[in-house]
Amino acid sequence: MKTKTILMAAGLVLASSAAYAASWTGGDDLPTNPLACDATPGEVVAKPYDGGVPTNAPDRNGKKITVVDVPKLIGVGYFSATTKGQAEAAKELGNVDVKTDGPTKANIDEQITFIDNYVTSGVDGILFAANDPVAIAPVLKKALAAGINVVGYDANSTPDARQWFVNQAEFNGVAKSLVDNLAKEIGEDSAFAIVTSTFTTPNQARWIAEMAAYAAKCHPKLEFLETVEAQEDNVLSFNQATTLINKHGDKLKGIVGMTSVATPAAAEAVTQSGLCGKVAVVGLATPNAMKPYVEKDCVKSVVLWNPVDLGYAAIYVLRAAADGTLKPGDTSVKAGKLGELKVVNGSEILLGSPFVFDKSNIGQFDF
Amino acid sequence: MTLSLRSFMRHEAVLGILLVLVLFVLAQQSDKFFTTANILNQGRLMTEIGLIALPMTFVIITGGIDLSVGSILGLCAILLGVFWQNLGLPLPAAMALAVCVGALAGLVNGLIITRFKVPPLIATLATLALYRGLAEGISQARSVRGYPEWFFVLGQGEVLGVPTQLWILIVFAIGAAAILGLTTFGRATYAVGANETAARFSGINVDRTKLLIYTASGLVSGIAAVIFVSRVSTTRSDMGTGVELDVITAVVLGGTSIFGGRGTIIGTVIGLILVQALKNGLALSGVKGDGTIVVIGVVLIFAILASNLFSRNGDG
Amino acid sequence: MSFETATVRRSASTGFAARTFATYGQEFIILACIVVLFVAVGLIAPRFISPTNLTTIFVGNAYIAVAAIGMSMVIISGHIDVSVGSLIGVLATISGTLAVSGYPVWFAWLAPVIVGMVVTSFIGVLVAYVRIPSIVVTLGMLSILKGGLISVTGGAWITNLPPDYLIAQFRLFGIPSPVWFMIFLTAVAAMFMRYTAFGRSIYAIGGNGEAARVAGIPVERTTVTIFAIHGLFAGIAAVLFATQLQVIQSTVPPNLELTVITASVVGGVSILGGTGTVVGSTLAAILFAAIGSSLIFLNVSAYWLRAVQGLLILATVLADMARRHRIG
Repeated sequence: MKTKTILMAAGLVLASSAAYAASWTGGDDLPTNPLACDATPGEVVAKPYDGGVPTNAPDRNGKKITVVDVPKLIGVGYFSATTKGQAEAAKELGNVDVKTDGPTKANIDEQITFIDNYVTSGVDGILFAANDPVAIAPVLKKALAAGINVVGYDANSTPDARQWFVNQAEFNGVAKSLVDNLAKEIGEDSAFAIVTSTFTTPNQARWIAEMAAYAAKCHPKLEFLETVEAQEDNVLSFNQATTLINKHGDKLKGIVGMTSVATPAAAEAVTQSGLCGKVAVVGLATPNAMKPYVEKDCVKSVVLWNPVDLGYAAIYVLRAAADGTLKPGDTSVKAGKLGELKVVNGSEILLGSPFVFDKSNIGQFDF
Repeated sequence: MTLSLRSFMRHEAVLGILLVLVLFVLAQQSDKFFTTANILNQGRLMTEIGLIALPMTFVIITGGIDLSVGSILGLCAILLGVFWQNLGLPLPAAMALAVCVGALAGLVNGLIITRFKVPPLIATLATLALYRGLAEGISQARSVRGYPEWFFVLGQGEVLGVPTQLWILIVFAIGAAAILGLTTFGRATYAVGANETAARFSGINVDRTKLLIYTASGLVSGIAAVIFVSRVSTTRSDMGTGVELDVITAVVLGGTSIFGGRGTIIGTVIGLILVQALKNGLALSGVKGDGTIVVIGVVLIFAILASNLFSRNGDG
Repeated sequence: MSFETATVRRSASTGFAARTFATYGQEFIILACIVVLFVAVGLIAPRFISPTNLTTIFVGNAYIAVAAIGMSMVIISGHIDVSVGSLIGVLATISGTLAVSGYPVWFAWLAPVIVGMVVTSFIGVLVAYVRIPSIVVTLGMLSILKGGLISVTGGAWITNLPPDYLIAQFRLFGIPSPVWFMIFLTAVAAMFMRYTAFGRSIYAIGGNGEAARVAGIPVERTTVTIFAIHGLFAGIAAVLFATQLQVIQSTVPPNLELTVITASVVGGVSILGGTGTVVGSTLAAILFAAIGSSLIFLNVSAYWLRAVQGLLILATVLADMARRHRIG
């Protein structure tokens, strides 16, 4: 009898799964804001400062400050790159002491515990990349209440839980860049699939949702096939991408990698299947991992901001916030070698447009 | 029985000394460690693991294991949000229902283990994947947010200056210790773990005992889920991933024998506090997270090693 | 445990077919599951059984199958190793680091195997001589290896691996080397378990440690050797894992220990020790890969994928239990 129940449950699961085939899987349900199809920049809506303010922060102007950086997780290439940028900026400034510490898996609970401990230990500044924008908010508010300067980068929290957020590239900008490159490489009426980390990763979910909106607006004939999950595991990403190739055969013209792990693994899958030039790979990735494929012409272009610059900018922003030189209402901030960075969207600092690496320039980057 | 009782009391003594030592050393390292605010805050952070560790102690004493607790936590968290937002139930009802689903999930574990005679490790390995999968499927990886303010009292509020959930943990720990130490059910739990066949022959309803314990494990995971959601103010389908290893570490460190038949709630509580004190104290003294997990690994092996050396006449 | 005695009693009194089924029942069930899956999914989506996809399925979990061989021996002897995922992560990193630092390729392949054996022998000593339960030792080792790896590498990827190092991409008769490794090692281990005195002593220890001791088996030394062999397979698995792509992540692959243990136990290795074969665990590893692949081919919504995987594992386990009940 129980076996029957289990079989029924299985049937139910399979049946209900069919209902979700319509939209792009993996996107979130937040409102989207696709950019114009041509190069017109998105309209900038002036928005008042919506970040938080630390309570009774001591005067840190020019004084040496201790900063802790709590990324989503440690031990991955992307966040080692941001750490590198932070160290660079701290060295330039000379009055910032920064260390990176965090959970070994992208886990909301552990990240909160880490930040909580650092609030107790009494640091001057906290940098974070949130595993979940809402879950992290209470502990960040606690940090602000303790007079600590709080700045986010890479993945945002709710605005009032931190002072500033260094935005590597706006979601709709990344989405446009990815979809435009994809359409250029595979043609307007071709089919493609997506390899992502997990559906619960906020940034990836946001990008997929924005990509769907932008594609519907500007490349309506592009055919979305499916999204597969591959954690942050390169062997699994490789297997999933290979299975996609096997499944769709000639129909599949492109694979989009949503993480810096998935994109090189997808490129490897295309290479090992002997389909270089037949199946295009576009995606977010770091140049070092992509060099072999770009140099062999298996991958034409890779989209990414420079994570080293992202970490670098985060330190400059935090320093400016601690010094009081970056105040609510300001429209720009100086960030060392990066020059003036614009304040957008109330309390976000924009690093720039997403950067496209190709064969001509990929050799110049090392991260 | 008296011999094994003495040997596990010895383990707790060893562990207690170790804990005092650790607390002392850590307090020397950072003046922020031994403050009321920090200690109470740590209590808040360890509640979910602590709650689940209580029934896990029973589970392991019976010679079983429950690897699905983290997934049950995730499933209940998701369902709490779904019941409240998507089905429009009042929040208290949604909380109660989510906890019931936890109990149901535990009951299913228990049924697979007792009726089909599937070893607990395999049964709960399978349901670990199943429950996590259900959480992901039901939620479609969407979060539910925007809970009313009163709900956060549970996870972020205080009662008489002590975090609300710490009261819950204390009440549950005392209850669990009483059940395990003073009732016939507690004695049955030990008997099942020490020798299942003998327990069966001496008239103990082994299957019912196990069924109740696994159901309790699911139920408490459900309660932990509600507290967790209240603490972090959102639901996600990946909540509680890997919790099972933290819970088992606390229980095993507390002297509960993985072979069954031995263990106490007080040991589990000490084990739990020791792990949390290490995590917190080492962070405050400037040790990074990767170093901390190495230390916890060493302490786990060392604690069991030390207690083995002191009780060589025990059954090992 | 009562099943085992029942199984043995029964098999002595019945014919060859029943005896074979009783001994290898779980293997047959998993093999049947694989065949049914291939046929059923192949009928719906013919590309599923195309040679390329079959290769993908067999290659995909080959390293898990190899690691599961050693894990099966450990579990049959009545122990467990939950640190195997971290160990493979560490060994893969060591291997890759040596390869890019200019050491000869054979050394980059051999070193992780040796280091793996040293680490697991150490675990074996703690388990056998110091008498700490294996789950405690390996829970501790899991933390130590994982934390240590991150401290040392910081997660920096290893790139620019020399092409002749990538052994998992070699092919023999058109079939990728991981498949050969999987088949060869499974066959050798199966023979070893069945026909050597040492192999049989693994079952004896797992079945009843005291009885094994009385029968003259050096339980402690054998246990350490079992763990050392487990390290050998973990080392080979790590090399296959490291050389599958052109980058090594220098991290612990998520949930790898659970996958390896699940393959062993679903393959029929009794978690109570004493029974099981390595053939079953290899078949189970292939079955998992086939399930993962088939769900993509069947267009099961990716959101429900994990739930379906869990159900299928549960179904396999329940089918085995039902079989044992029938025999017993």
